[in-house]
Amino acid sequence: MAGWKRETTAGGKSILTPGPDSVSTPYAPPIQHTHDHGNHDHHDHHHSHGHDHHHHDHNHDHDHHHDHKHDHDHYHPHGSTQDQNPERSLFTRLILPYTAKFPLLHAIVSEKDSRRIFYFMVLNFSFMIVQAFYGYLTDSLGLLSDSIHMFFDCVALLVGLLAAVMSKWPPSQRFPYGFGKIETLSGFANGILLMLLSLEIAFEAFERLWEGTKTKRLGELFVVSSLGLAVNLVGMMAFGHHHHHGHDHSHGHGHGHDHSHDHGHDHGCSSHGGHNHGHDHDNENMHGIYLHVLADTLGSVSVIVSTILTSFWGWAGWDPLASCLIAVLIFLSSKPLVMSSAKRLLLSVPETTEYNLRNTLGGILNQRGVVSYAAPKFWICDRTGTDAGWSLEGVVHVVAAKNASLNDVRERVLDYLQKEGVVAIVQVEREGDNSCWCTRGRALNLPSTPKPF
Amino acid sequence: MSSTEEDGATLTPITPGPNPFNFQTQVISTTPVKSNIGQRRGHRYKHSSISTQHQIFQEPPPRPPPVLPASLPIPTLREAWKSMRKDQRLRLYWSLCHLAVAMYIFYKSEGSLAAVALSHLVFFDAGSAAVCVAVEVLGNFEVWRRSSIRHPFGLERAEVLTGFAMSVFLLFGGFDLVSHNLKHFLESLGNHESHHEHEHGHVSASSIDIIAGAAIVSTLISAYGLKNHARIAKVMRVSYLAHLPSILSNPFHFLTLSFSALIALLPLMSIALYTWLDRLICAVISFAMFAVGFRVAVAQGLMLLMSYGGNDGNSAVSSILREIESDAGVQRVENAQFWQVHYGLCMANLKLSVARGYDEVSLGKLRNRISSLIQNRLGEGYGHGGYTRWEVTLQMDTDLVS
Repeated sequence: MAGWKRETTAGGKSILTPGPDSVSTPYAPPIQHTHDHGNHDHHDHHHSHGHDHHHHDHNHDHDHHHDHKHDHDHYHPHGSTQDQNPERSLFTRLILPYTAKFPLLHAIVSEKDSRRIFYFMVLNFSFMIVQAFYGYLTDSLGLLSDSIHMFFDCVALLVGLLAAVMSKWPPSQRFPYGFGKIETLSGFANGILLMLLSLEIAFEAFERLWEGTKTKRLGELFVVSSLGLAVNLVGMMAFGHHHHHGHDHSHGHGHGHDHSHDHGHDHGCSSHGGHNHGHDHDNENMHGIYLHVLADTLGSVSVIVSTILTSFWGWAGWDPLASCLIAVLIFLSSKPLVMSSAKRLLLSVPETTEYNLRNTLGGILNQRGVVSYAAPKFWICDRTGTDAGWSLEGVVHVVAAKNASLNDVRERVLDYLQKEGVVAIVQVEREGDNSCWCTRGRALNLPSTPKPF
Repeated sequence: MSSTEEDGATLTPITPGPNPFNFQTQVISTTPVKSNIGQRRGHRYKHSSISTQHQIFQEPPPRPPPVLPASLPIPTLREAWKSMRKDQRLRLYWSLCHLAVAMYIFYKSEGSLAAVALSHLVFFDAGSAAVCVAVEVLGNFEVWRRSSIRHPFGLERAEVLTGFAMSVFLLFGGFDLVSHNLKHFLESLGNHESHHEHEHGHVSASSIDIIAGAAIVSTLISAYGLKNHARIAKVMRVSYLAHLPSILSNPFHFLTLSFSALIALLPLMSIALYTWLDRLICAVISFAMFAVGFRVAVAQGLMLLMSYGGNDGNSAVSSILREIESDAGVQRVENAQFWQVHYGLCMANLKLSVARGYDEVSLGKLRNRISSLIQNRLGEGYGHGGYTRWEVTLQMDTDLVS
């Protein structure tokens, strides 16, 4: 709790700093810029954004301490004088040794994303407890039902936290490709949940408008929702930059992205493969959580505004009207999240990568001894933390010419694919051997095999 | 050509010597140009002496025709509508009817918590029926099944994804019911002035019976006519329901049918008992929704995370791997990736290292042996109706160490 409060102030401070950096400032100080002094000035804004992509751990407190003394151009000197974990806040560094006894807790606290979710969840949960207790004492229905709502938020956060922790697990026999997809899955679930929620809100609003139910206990409602708003604003601050980053991303894979990519490689901090893929690892989990918090914030705002309006004009329709508006907003904002995570989960290859992949596949035929190939299935592999990084992986069956050595052909194709940044399992078949299942598909696509079997 | 030079360079350490295939490719790539120069009589701009010398028209780099299409067109609504066969259209109409029934139950259920909960279940059934119809209609198109570079497994995984979304709906519905129930409970405990109309005015006995009847009938029609939930249930394998007769062995149909039967009995109770039973049934339904939703979410989530079959699947894979390793020709299994793509397809990608002395024929036999082993053991045969195809890929490295 103590650590969180400090982060609150950091957020509060940074919101006072002018300019578009306000949201990303808490995470902005990149320490890796030591070799980059020359052009640091005019790239400054890009840097802060670009680095957010690469999951650097940035420091809240660190930022907070120096923020009022320096302009934000001056982060790196401090960063470079910092010790080996400059990215963690003072509180985190304080509690980190104690968590070593509990592996799960340690895993949560040592990663940036999961740590942030964890802190916010703790805040949310303790607020919920206080609210429920107070609601029970004062016998206030509004407080109690709001604490139920908060409990569900906590559950959603818990799912996100689990996903963030599990995404670091290594591949196993049961999960041969690791848990890279679990964050996407959690983001997808969150998006669907928000859509359902917005439908429900809209539905209830219509019902209330229809029946003309009057909102009661306006004062209590006002207090409760302002408190909720305060908590959620903290959350917005904590998860905020992910939205920006998602937003940038949706505007296209432009030059700015390549630029930030290059920097990622320069610093050696990102584990991307050597090829160009123009698509960024967008963390859908964090995006989903951000949207959830955003939805809650909007909900609190709508309640506050509608209670004010109702107390002035006394028309019962304000609240349903505001709810409808909020529902539409939530629905629209969760749609891109659902779409992008669905695409990833369907294992579809993004357009830019597809073009390269087609060239790569065509190049297989140029390898010596290769007659044709069949059943190429390649997908984006997004397991984090390996040097394979964010490349393509998959399977291809290659048909070797009658007089070529199978081993030779396999090595050749594997080398070639490796060079193109594709991790593949290659099955080599002799020309004329039609025993494999893939020959059925090959018979359909004869143009690639000019010779009869 | 630079690529051939490169090939030569990489070739030398492995197997030195000339390769006649290299010569062949050169002939193929140059023939059309040569023959064209001699034969063309009309416009000569492209192949005239000037243009060939100065490279005004540059030939695009030779690119072999792709094995797979880059992407296949995704049908629009209009195309989908046109492609529908008569029986498919009939099913579409029925699924709309089912949705209407769900709406009807929801509107009629105002006042009985159990009926509200039942309407959630019927909504879920209707949604699944709609998904079934959509899957069938999309199956008319190539993009659904055939793999392209954009969609290496077609779009069939979308069904798993919608199943997952529906499980989120179940979880959400369960939570929602619990919170509503809790709120009502708190209200009645706190003895606040009643401002909800559910406190007065129960649903009449006849309308409750109509609700239950509609739910049962629509569930039965969907279950037999559309076979909704069939594929999801197959993945879930709820063991304690497995020995029930056909439709009831499906957990979703079981839930809807049993609860609507229970609700039909409600009006027989006295008023005091009625309110408590009403609440109890609502709580049980929401709990069931939650439990089932969780299981569905896990089952589909495993598939979406590219895993195979949960715990049972894992042990089956382990035993298969042991068997493969015990084969005389296999030195060891270096990498094994077993995973389920969608309801009908699984993939097994194995990297084996094979003893050195093996010739090609026996390697081919080994490959066939392994793939039929995997298909027979994990594919569950044709008999049960639950047939999943296994696409096996074996990379057999000859062991150079031993």
